[in-house]
Amino acid sequence: MSLTQKLSERGCFAKVSTGNHLKPNHYSTIRKIILISMILVPFIPFILVLITGYYYFATALETSKIASMKRIVNDHRQMIESFLNERRADLEFVQNAYPFEELGRPQTLARVFQLLQNKSNAFQDLGIFDESGVHVAYHGPYELKGKMYRHTEWFQNVIRHNYYISDIFLGYRQVPHFIIAVVRKENNRKWVIRATIDTLMFNDLVKKIRIGATGEAYILNVDGILQTDRRSGGHLMEQDSGHRPHLVYHEDIRIFIDKDAAKHNFLYATTWLKNWQWQLVVRQEKADVFKALRTATYLIVIISVVGGVLIIGVAFFLTDRIVRRMQQLDAEKDQLSEQLIRASRLAELGEMAAGFAHEINNPLQIIKNEQTLIEMLTAELKQKGELKESENLIEIEDSFKQINLQISRCAEITQAILKFGRKTEAAWQDIELNSFIPEITAMVAKKASVNGIAIRQHIPDAPLCVHADPTQLQQVFLNLFNNAIDAVIERHKGNGGEISVETVATDNSRVSIRIHDNGCGISPENLKKIFSPFFTTKPVGKGTGLGLSVCFGIINNLGGSMQVSSDLESGTTFTLSLPAGKS
Amino acid sequence: MEKMKMMLVDDEERFLVTTRKLLTKKDIEVVTATSGKDALEILRQKNIHVVILDVKMPGMDGIATLKEIKSRFPLVEVIMLTGHATVESAIEGLKSGATDYLMKPTGIDELIGRAEEAFQKRQRLEEKIRMAQTRKFMKSPRDILREAEKPE
Repeated sequence: MSLTQKLSERGCFAKVSTGNHLKPNHYSTIRKIILISMILVPFIPFILVLITGYYYFATALETSKIASMKRIVNDHRQMIESFLNERRADLEFVQNAYPFEELGRPQTLARVFQLLQNKSNAFQDLGIFDESGVHVAYHGPYELKGKMYRHTEWFQNVIRHNYYISDIFLGYRQVPHFIIAVVRKENNRKWVIRATIDTLMFNDLVKKIRIGATGEAYILNVDGILQTDRRSGGHLMEQDSGHRPHLVYHEDIRIFIDKDAAKHNFLYATTWLKNWQWQLVVRQEKADVFKALRTATYLIVIISVVGGVLIIGVAFFLTDRIVRRMQQLDAEKDQLSEQLIRASRLAELGEMAAGFAHEINNPLQIIKNEQTLIEMLTAELKQKGELKESENLIEIEDSFKQINLQISRCAEITQAILKFGRKTEAAWQDIELNSFIPEITAMVAKKASVNGIAIRQHIPDAPLCVHADPTQLQQVFLNLFNNAIDAVIERHKGNGGEISVETVATDNSRVSIRIHDNGCGISPENLKKIFSPFFTTKPVGKGTGLGLSVCFGIINNLGGSMQVSSDLESGTTFTLSLPAGKS
Repeated sequence: MEKMKMMLVDDEERFLVTTRKLLTKKDIEVVTATSGKDALEILRQKNIHVVILDVKMPGMDGIATLKEIKSRFPLVEVIMLTGHATVESAIEGLKSGATDYLMKPTGIDELIGRAEEAFQKRQRLEEKIRMAQTRKFMKSPRDILREAEKPE
């Protein structure tokens, strides 16, 4: 088989592809994916929690506000109705207690009025009317006695219904007021007692309600005329324009939201009083009612913004770190695969070199034989006298010798290569360190003494064994010693160098060997890379950078570990820990 | 005394030609073969004492040839010739019955020397065989038994 054939077979001429270089947009895609998921995944529950919380809070708030509004309206209605009922009961009592004639006397009427006033100062005046609507008797600040009321609305109503509470009206006196009138049938004729209610007092009674900043209560009649003042504006007897549409009769309490004339949203609670003549309205500005909700909304917005910024910030930060780490790892991976390719190339080269050497031996054999034949033939020719002794012949003979010599040289080289390239199987055995280490130090002793380096050995006499392959172990020790010698030479330049070897049985199963030198030391950043393949501090062509990485591999294979500590002042210490053998 | 008959087996023809010339000049009877198959054929036809056998050959390689020779012609002495990278196979050859091994490139005198040794070994072996055979003829069984009891 020819050499070139072999070479191409071994893939020597084939281009070796170097590491897969990832496209830059690969990282941006990964970055995008991580970023999106890191933002979305926390964001979705975050937003959901906020929305759910807001929804339930708003619902709960609304329910409680409406309930409280209803309660207030209900209480207020009861209070107003009981006020009016009390006044009616007062009048009925008076009517029952006094006959028409007696009550028509001014003294009696004044006394009765006084008595009523004592009970409640709501009454402003008191009047008695006969069936035809003539004001028979009057006690009060106005001159109303003798006036005719037959055609007034209230009189007609009271005759019809026996009891009447009017809306607020101006009447003869031209002052807003409302009256309560009660009819009594006595001896087949009807007479009427009428009292005017103090509008101010009634007004206060209704108005006094106060909820939040804008809560207020007022009364409207069926035509939407204000029967009490309204705190937010609107006086007695004014038309309330805001909610005519809502002036519909209903039994219970109604709650609704509506805009008033000024376009403010109000929460209304309405109910009807005294047989649907008056409507009690309690209202509060919606913004005021839901102030807590607004505060919560602000808080939620602030939390959303801060949380969102935080999530996005953290996402960006982490994504950056992850992507950078990935890039770093990829770069390291590329570097490693490049180193692997280089290492495998080197191994290939070694194998090839062995192949070359083997193949070269065949032609060398032929050359050697040819040369021997020529020499023999020349000698024969000389013997027969066909070749005369001459200077040229001497030269030729000299050339032959030279050829012979060069063949031997080639043979030596090929043998050396073959020896290097040969794979030998590890032969494990127990090695006595007491004799093994001195053997190796003896191998480097010459080189050390030439450079003024003292090798000190601290090896206890007690036999200490490790279980390993002696050839490999020798390689490791020689490598470490040679490195130590180089380091010492660099620092001490031939004087004062020292290398020490120490063996310690750490426990029953392990032996530790320390090799210390007082050489130039290794810088911390180099110390990290010292075991990586092809790392070397030596100039190009001096070291392959494979020594320590190979040593590391060997020691690992032997089931041991290798550690290094170094500083630039005191030198370097390699500590090997190996499984102990049986001594 | 019988002259050594030698056979060179190698796939390199020029090596065979030149080495035969050299050996002939040294007055050694020599035949050559370029493959294991040829070698076995020649062994069948001629009485060869020593075979110099290249380990690495196309087709039937040295080790296979050696095993075949040893099984069919046990008395033939075989010297393995190796390009060194195949020292392991040379050692395997020795285990399989080769007498010796030589590393390429080897000098002609070295080759002759080793071959002579092998030849002498063979001759001693043949002598022993002859002796044994004559004794077998000359001695009675009782003598043979007595002979066997005596320590040598």
